[in-house]
Amino acid sequence: MIVMQIKSNELLDQLGEVTETHIRKAITLYQNMEDEQMLKPALDGGWSIAQCLDHLNGYGNVYFPKMRTAMDQNTKANDEYRSTWLGDKFTKSLDPDTGKMKMKALKGHRPERNLDAAAVVAKFIRQQEELLDMMKTARQRDLSGIRIPISIASWIRMNLGDTFRFIVAHNERHIRQADRLVPAHTMGGK
Amino acid sequence: MNSLDILQDLLNRIHKIPDPVMAELFGIWTPVKADRKELLTKCGNVEKYIYVVLEGVQRVYYLDDQDREATILFTYRPSFSGVLDSFLLQTASKYNFETLTPSSFLRASFTSFNTLMEKHHAIETMVRKGLSGVVGGLEERLVEIQCFSSEDRFRSLLKRSPHILQLVPHKYLASYLGMDPTNFSKLINKIRI
Repeated sequence: MIVMQIKSNELLDQLGEVTETHIRKAITLYQNMEDEQMLKPALDGGWSIAQCLDHLNGYGNVYFPKMRTAMDQNTKANDEYRSTWLGDKFTKSLDPDTGKMKMKALKGHRPERNLDAAAVVAKFIRQQEELLDMMKTARQRDLSGIRIPISIASWIRMNLGDTFRFIVAHNERHIRQADRLVPAHTMGGK
Repeated sequence: MNSLDILQDLLNRIHKIPDPVMAELFGIWTPVKADRKELLTKCGNVEKYIYVVLEGVQRVYYLDDQDREATILFTYRPSFSGVLDSFLLQTASKYNFETLTPSSFLRASFTSFNTLMEKHHAIETMVRKGLSGVVGGLEERLVEIQCFSSEDRFRSLLKRSPHILQLVPHKYLASYLGMDPTNFSKLINKIRI
């Protein structure tokens, strides 16, 4: 059983960098794409870009208030972070590089086809700004000591650091899924 | 271009400063970096610094007592930044100054900048000319706000800043144009065709 043990700031730097790539992509690309492109399903019938982002927004809706409240209520700082076995397992299963298993999204997290694409992107951008802001606050918190209940079973808790890792890995997974739907000539950005 | 080249280029566009004075002016700047959405100057505080933008996009905005925002201006290279009136008058700022993207700047304190302004007429001239340009820009913007349609104001923004749609989240552009974000999205779609 290998757990991760690093400086909190180092973890948050890494996660912040990945989140920054997501927000940049949303700004340069997604918010400027035509609705038709954003809503087009994948060739195999899979989610559109808008559905991928809407799915991520759903997780933000569930987790961000819990994370904020937990950080407001527990203000002790700790510059060391230690992951948990559960956190590692969740993050690995979602990580697009290590989680090879094709997963079906849980009920309640399956987005509709007919979305307001602009609103979905705007919300995604807002949530990534929120995520970066929470990471800033988290630098003065105990990432291992604060516990967040997971959405599928509220008696199971991950620590705050694991929660950040899981959210960012989940975002990365679906951003890569969305990448596959972007026409090749637009990927480079204008 | 290195940061001092950017500074020199920016100053020369406004007023040609003699080399010995320019050398002194170079000495007061410090490089600083800021993250995305970092509040550099808060409403109610005095603006301590003048900034030269090296990278990124920032905005100055007003927040009312119902938390409604009005974006007054965007800044990006090559430009000065910060809350200008608060800086020059050293009075409490009525506005917030924040980064919209990760940014880097050169910045100088009021004390050091003011000392040089008082010492060298050329620097005071540069400031006077720069402010005249700002006044002209503000007059144009007032005309836009009173006389232009949303669409024309948007086109004018795009003319001034062609890449802004790819640089900042659209909600800030909507705020600058005094538009609801939903209507702004409709406007983009309309103009796109």
